[in-house]
Amino acid sequence: MADLKILAVDDSPTMRRIIINTLKRAGFNDVVEAADGKDALAKMKVEKPNFVITDWNMPEMDGLTFVTTLRSQAEYANLPVLMVTTRSVKEDIVEAMKAGVNNYIVKPFTPATLKEKIESMLAG
Amino acid sequence: MSSKDTLHENVQKEISELTASISEVVAGFRKLQRPLIESHDKVPQATSQLDKITEQTEAVTAQMLDMVEKLTQREDEVLSGLETIREKIKAGETDSIDSLIETLVAKTGDNINEGYQIMEALQFQDITAQQMDHAASLLEDVEVKLHGIINSMGDSRVQGPMLSTTSKKRAYDPNADMVTKKTDQDAIDSIFANGQK
Repeated sequence: MADLKILAVDDSPTMRRIIINTLKRAGFNDVVEAADGKDALAKMKVEKPNFVITDWNMPEMDGLTFVTTLRSQAEYANLPVLMVTTRSVKEDIVEAMKAGVNNYIVKPFTPATLKEKIESMLAG
Repeated sequence: MSSKDTLHENVQKEISELTASISEVVAGFRKLQRPLIESHDKVPQATSQLDKITEQTEAVTAQMLDMVEKLTQREDEVLSGLETIREKIKAGETDSIDSLIETLVAKTGDNINEGYQIMEALQFQDITAQQMDHAASLLEDVEVKLHGIINSMGDSRVQGPMLSTTSKKRAYDPNADMVTKKTDQDAIDSIFANGQK
């Protein structure tokens, strides 16, 4: 996990704090944050994370548009993206997968689920 | 033309004008009916969202209070245990200190876990914020429709900007829920497992 840098994208400052604390407790210490898709795209260039956790419903640019934009750039074609959102309708999940999301967790989540998903994505 | 004929003609003209006016009023009411029905449907939706927020906030608060009660009780036990250790050291009774320390370490570990569980439960803030945004958005729609109706009636008493034009940009999931997930994690995992083959 030494080289892993995670970008956590969520418009809720509370959720960002919860995600960052949960990640640090799980041993993922290098975490940067962004408040929406637009902010995240700017952070991608500066921070160069190698793992992204993103919410869906955000102002300015939502998570789906953010992921679609990422996937349209060759350098981010294989970047692992985990979506953490309240949206639990099957059609939404399929849409996220088609947009390029690699895995998906519905809020509220448990720290164990978040850790397990990150580890399985890194392993696979 | 006799005066009777003229009277008849005038009455006919009046009736025809009255009919045209009534038709116009009826058409006007029909025009108002749709936004009124739409507004009428949105108010119960907003009310139901607000009721859900109250229920879920109450449930999560109770859950967090339970955890805080356990945590503070354990903290009291840790403090009392530390006091016992100090007394035992002063009295030179060091034999049972190790097991006492082990107990306190376990209690402190439980407290840390409890703290993380409280943090996990605090996710309700994001979910209720989305439910609030949904309710606010429904009420803003009602406001726009009522504003339109009042304007179409030529009433200028409603002044000032509408809330919906001054409020923040809203991004929410109308189905956000603390308890109910329309698709569980196993089903999500299976969608991804099948889709990525």
